[in-house]
Amino acid sequence: MTATTETRAGVTPAADRPRRGRRRGAHGRVHPGLWFFPVPALLLYLVFFAGPTLQAFQYSVTDWDGFSADFANVGTSNFGSIVSNDDLFRGALTNNLKFLFVVVIAQTALSLLLAVLLQRNSRSSTALRALFFLPAILSSVSVAFVWKFMYDPNFGLINQVLGGIGLDGLRSAFLGNADQAIFWVALAQVWAHAGQLMVIFIAGLQQIPAELYESASLDGASQWQRFRFVTWPLIAPATAIVVAYTTIQSFKAFDLILGLGGNPPKGSLDILSTRIYTTFTNSKFGYAAAESIVFMLIIAVVSLLQRRAVRLTQHGA
Amino acid sequence: MNTRQQGFSRRAALQLVGAGGVGAVLAGCAGPGSTGGSTSTGAASISGEASGDISFAHWRAEDKQVFDDLIKKFAATTPDVSVRQDISPSNDYQSSALQRIRGGSVGDVFVAFRGAQFVDMVEAGLYTDVSNQDFVQNFDPALIEAGKQDDTQFGYPYQVVFNMPVTNADLVSKAGGGSAPKDWDGFLGLCDDLKSQGVVPIAWPGGDPGNAGQLFNAMVMNNAPSDDMCTKIESGEYKCTDDWFLTTLQQYVQLKPYFQDNATGTAVEPCQQIFATKKAAMLATGSYHIAAVRALGAEFDMDLIAPITVSADEAKYEGIYNATFVLGVNSASKNQAAALAWLEYLSTPEVAGVYANGTSQNVTVKDVEYTNPDLKAIAPWLTRKTLLAPRFQFNNLDIRTAVEGACIAVVGGKSPDAAAAEAQRVVDQQRGQ
Repeated sequence: MTATTETRAGVTPAADRPRRGRRRGAHGRVHPGLWFFPVPALLLYLVFFAGPTLQAFQYSVTDWDGFSADFANVGTSNFGSIVSNDDLFRGALTNNLKFLFVVVIAQTALSLLLAVLLQRNSRSSTALRALFFLPAILSSVSVAFVWKFMYDPNFGLINQVLGGIGLDGLRSAFLGNADQAIFWVALAQVWAHAGQLMVIFIAGLQQIPAELYESASLDGASQWQRFRFVTWPLIAPATAIVVAYTTIQSFKAFDLILGLGGNPPKGSLDILSTRIYTTFTNSKFGYAAAESIVFMLIIAVVSLLQRRAVRLTQHGA
Repeated sequence: MNTRQQGFSRRAALQLVGAGGVGAVLAGCAGPGSTGGSTSTGAASISGEASGDISFAHWRAEDKQVFDDLIKKFAATTPDVSVRQDISPSNDYQSSALQRIRGGSVGDVFVAFRGAQFVDMVEAGLYTDVSNQDFVQNFDPALIEAGKQDDTQFGYPYQVVFNMPVTNADLVSKAGGGSAPKDWDGFLGLCDDLKSQGVVPIAWPGGDPGNAGQLFNAMVMNNAPSDDMCTKIESGEYKCTDDWFLTTLQQYVQLKPYFQDNATGTAVEPCQQIFATKKAAMLATGSYHIAAVRALGAEFDMDLIAPITVSADEAKYEGIYNATFVLGVNSASKNQAAALAWLEYLSTPEVAGVYANGTSQNVTVKDVEYTNPDLKAIAPWLTRKTLLAPRFQFNNLDIRTAVEGACIAVVGGKSPDAAAAEAQRVVDQQRGQ
């Protein structure tokens, strides 16, 4: 009571400070029991993510086959082979980068185009959004089976249509064409996920104040200029999410590849995740762990470069 | 109220969480090979009374019904043992069975593909030594060799499969006059005749590497200088750039006009469909697809054929067979006696006959009566001069994929020299890893 009276009497701020601190402490201090609430999640993370990641570093310098009690330490030779003497890993990396490039560009562009066209909340737009989103609810394995049928050279829809309209010369082996196979898989991936990313772009577009478009119109900006100087810079956060998500998705297209290309897939369809899986299957755990670490580094580098590219593009705008 | 009065300080809570986390991470970082089942080969004899629940792990989903029926009959004779099937798709089984079965929670009785998987499973100590079991005499000794390692019988191959093209006997006999070609020119002539009849001579699933590779067996069986050619490629003694392998690749190029269009992109199911609907005269996979083709409605007579890639006097073999589905008892099983009882039951000729006729698979068990018309038709191949499928000599799957991939690549348009060099480069790299 005395203390309260003194405060109300308007004593110096210096004298008031500790008291205010105590009050903050009384109301703002976290109950220590609450520190245990993140424990289950933290333990799961440590056991299933952090532990295996550290373990991968440990295995990567061994020749462990995955089941024997014995193994030898091989130093950095696994990494040396991956970098300089492994056509299969290099081929998978090349395929993955081609796949990534096509999917990121095509999926981002297509989903942005769909978002711009369907951002109004009209009945037809809503119906079309639902339609384009539909493939996203299918599992990758289902998508793989749908497109396996589409790409079948004998009974597949694409070759049948091409034959039906007299374009027999364009009939293709699709996934059997070593130079094109990975691009056909990329097309299936774009089909499956463009609608999902369209939703993110629509959310971003709907955050842009209408006044900006009005004032741009008053200044005489064309439709393209309104997109270039208003829309594009202001959907930067959405674009960053879409590009990052698409990148991760492209590295994780494991089930789509196995569904379309079989297990193990042919060299023309192999990507890094399937390559690592095949190496594990081949009882080369140590080497596969080294591949996983290189894979992790590649994803980190690609993600950093992408973030920088997106930032530069939108600052430039 | 202060933190001490509550019993935990924030620091104490964080320390506890930190210690738990470090413990968890360290537990996760235990050394390679420190977890899981036994890693020594199970040589101990199996004793005790057969009782309890056992798991039978395999990949043949299409055989589930037949096994279910057999399990019911087994339960009637051995009421203390119940058998449960744990079935994985063959690709998953190929890649993950070893790790799953190793713990002993599934697969008291399990199977392995002949080749790399069997070798790895023996090395991992999964198979129990079953050399001294009385029921070994139920099997044809020549057909269960593939279940041996270092003179110890670890498993019993159960199925005999002919990994060579299946034919529509009507179409082939109409084109070739009934007798199988004895040399390469004769085989190409037969393909020409079939093509002139308006059918696809060979339906080949070039888009499905696992099935496409079956043709490789027959293509190399007479071309290679020795029967262990794939072992020698893997060991470096033979090269993909050797003349015999280049000849094989050139012969694949010669076959290209006789495959269906865009063969390198065709999966196995469309090939079965083309064959079942009489649009193709041969299905270049193996006898294991006869049942699937029948299920698609095929009613014509079927037989087997292998391309003889050399002249008649140079031919050593007429065809290819494989003894696979290598049955074994899990060394980590807690019910080994029960597992052995199930194995013994499967080895009896009556039971093996039910399995064989119900699944259209020949078996390694002796004195089985084949009543299934398709099995009757191909039964003569059991006594013909056939080679144990060489592709399963490869223990490194990347080497196998590279070597067989060269055959697919030349059909796709790559030159044999380039395809062979590319494959050999992968072989060399894999051998160096």
